[in-house]
Amino acid sequence: MKVLSLYVENDTFIHKLEPITKLLYALISIVITFLFPSIMVGAVFVAFSLLLAISAKVFKRMLLLLNVVLIVLLSMVIIQGLFYRQNVTPAFKLWGLTFYKEGLLYSLLLIVRVVNMIISFGVLILTTRPSDLVDNLVQKGLSPRFGYVLASVLQIIPQMLSTTSTITDAQRSRGLETEGNLFQRFSAFFALLGPLVLNSLVEARERAMAIEIRGFSVEGKRTFVRQIPETKADRWIKISLYVAFIVAVVWRIILWVM
Amino acid sequence: MGDVSTKISIEHLTYKYPFAKNVSLEDITLSIDAGQSIGIIGRNGAGKSTLCYVLSGLIPRFFHGKITGKVTIDGEDVPTMPVEKLIRKVGLVLQNPFSQISGAKMTVYEEVAFGLENLGIEKDEMHERIDTVLRQFDLYKKKDENPFELSGGQLQRLAIASVLVLKPEILILDEPTSQLDPRGTTEVFETISQLKTLGITILIVEHKFEKLVEYVDKIALLHEGKLLGYDTAEHIFSTSEIETYGVGQPIYTALCKRMGLKKANGYYPVSFGETVALLNGLKGSGMDRRTYNG
Repeated sequence: MKVLSLYVENDTFIHKLEPITKLLYALISIVITFLFPSIMVGAVFVAFSLLLAISAKVFKRMLLLLNVVLIVLLSMVIIQGLFYRQNVTPAFKLWGLTFYKEGLLYSLLLIVRVVNMIISFGVLILTTRPSDLVDNLVQKGLSPRFGYVLASVLQIIPQMLSTTSTITDAQRSRGLETEGNLFQRFSAFFALLGPLVLNSLVEARERAMAIEIRGFSVEGKRTFVRQIPETKADRWIKISLYVAFIVAVVWRIILWVM
Repeated sequence: MGDVSTKISIEHLTYKYPFAKNVSLEDITLSIDAGQSIGIIGRNGAGKSTLCYVLSGLIPRFFHGKITGKVTIDGEDVPTMPVEKLIRKVGLVLQNPFSQISGAKMTVYEEVAFGLENLGIEKDEMHERIDTVLRQFDLYKKKDENPFELSGGQLQRLAIASVLVLKPEILILDEPTSQLDPRGTTEVFETISQLKTLGITILIVEHKFEKLVEYVDKIALLHEGKLLGYDTAEHIFSTSEIETYGVGQPIYTALCKRMGLKKANGYYPVSFGETVALLNGLKGSGMDRRTYNG
């Protein structure tokens, strides 16, 4: 793997949206599901995010992402079902353990929030080239230095991993035991750490020099070879998202006051 | 470009890295004409890379330390020249092709655009310049590939293209072939040969002398931070002291020195072509049939 990216190349409406629009959707949908302690609101957003994933043809990949957190979600059901503070009404018994209705409902609320978080961010990550997201953010005012750090990490970490395997091979060829019991593995790790850190520092310095002589520190207006256009659709989606956000905040305040 | 005028002038340049015990460059004085190609040679620690860093402005901007003397390009002081101006004057290509890639760009095309974006070049001009250099360096077919998927030679060509797209008048190459195989080395030297025809002033640090001598007009010999010689390759390599500095010499020069074969001008041949010409000239003179016992 050369790049830390889950991007799935495709040509759908969602892929063509400005990355910031997708980021905004992810953030606002997460905030709204957290503002309202309602399973219904959460479920609506989960359903909508899923619809986006399906229309972007990334549903299968999305299931893989959800698989990763499956155990965490299950543990939520068990822990809240058994030990939620406001547990009063028994729902069912399993192997002698009583699960309570209040806990199960609360765990369901947590699950829709987490699932929405994963799906809405999943839509962003699976349908956006990482460098486009960073470029888009820099175009909107993010510091180019910070943007560089974000973008380069995605490629440089896999490079470091490949350096690690080269160093491991070199050390093994000189008799270092990298397999065996925990102690052997641990001492092998330290033998790799020195060359890896030094090598990475040298490379980082050279890379810093290389980008410096290509004008990285030049102040002033930057241009972008991939100018990511803000389409009409983007503008309308953003306006709708802002409106939804404001309505949600106002509504929440009214509910809280009443 | 192409007119014979002093492009780079260095006068009594001395530089010491921060925390270093000794100076890395000591009282260097030399001048380079526009359009010339200069080879910089010397053993490790001679100050070759340091000289490149001074000329490209990395010293004192990136590396601090103590610098004295005068370094000018087109009469303008390099250490105080604004960065955006200096970048348009001087391009530097480093040793390791992998660490020169910005790492922030996903395709070869975007990688070449990196420097242009930093300088705020307009989009149309950017596309035009990128297309030209990618074709010039035979990378156009690779434009949508990830830079890290290229071979070493291609990557070094990409590094040179990424610098040349900024249209510098001077290109400095610091051991550009040290990590490349023979094919990658040939690719880089062919590129340098193309650049010479464009009138770009070239400085190249290189240990592969047999290749180097074919492309440069003059050679600067550095030893322990001092400039010991600045002359044509045949002058530099014909001296008897060259072997004492631990820099080596072209295999053809070493061979001819061993055989006592000199050119008509009294210097030893430095390239394959010169050696062959010399040996051909000896045919029939009886020397080609002599038994060599040296």
